[in-house]
Amino acid sequence: MFEIGFNQDGDVVLTGRLDAAQAPAAQAFLDGVERGCVVDMAALEYISSAGLGVLLRTHKRLSGTGGGLELHNVNGHIGDIFSYSGFDRLFVIRSR
Amino acid sequence: MKKAYARDFSELDAIVADTAAFFATHAIDPNLRPKVDLANEELFVNLVTYNTEARGPVTIELCAAGRGIEVTLTDRDVDRFDPTRAGDVDVESLLAERAPGGLGLYLVSKMVDTIHHEYRDRTSKITFTNRSASSEEG
Repeated sequence: MFEIGFNQDGDVVLTGRLDAAQAPAAQAFLDGVERGCVVDMAALEYISSAGLGVLLRTHKRLSGTGGGLELHNVNGHIGDIFSYSGFDRLFVIRSR
Repeated sequence: MKKAYARDFSELDAIVADTAAFFATHAIDPNLRPKVDLANEELFVNLVTYNTEARGPVTIELCAAGRGIEVTLTDRDVDRFDPTRAGDVDVESLLAERAPGGLGLYLVSKMVDTIHHEYRDRTSKITFTNRSASSEEG
């Protein structure tokens, strides 16, 4: 199960498992984001390299316009994935 | 547990569900689940993506090893490719230099305790293990 949407603060909210099967839907949603924003990951249970690719592609596009993604409420395991991937050098990341 | 999965990313849900059931049935250390799920997905996706001429399913076998686990993915009628020898990824490069992709097999190497590839008679077999830090297995 995977869901993506906006909360009332305009943050992008990810819920469930962002795997290779769900990455196209996540990319399609994030392609519609036009400025830098917070991505709330409090309810994100899992992310694979396909999901990392979605975040990186979007972050690069938005950074080109002066924005970018901030990744908030990151759980321990996903934080490890970000660290192994070097994402902790590329994104502003706030853990739970 | 041994099960065949069609060469489609939509099978990932079934792989995760079957792995969860196996963990519960065999009292595998639940702390290993995220690592096993990630390694399973990245290896399965790699086989499906790059072994494009194969038509048969990918078989995944789970074996308990104390509170740890041994997982074997088998793909038949494929060319030789050793995923354990995938190139390193420069994870220290700047944003402008980073391109999406290439992280999957690198992450597998970080998630597993051991990984082994065997290729014989056009069959590729990848076996990885995750040991429990809390187990007393030998």
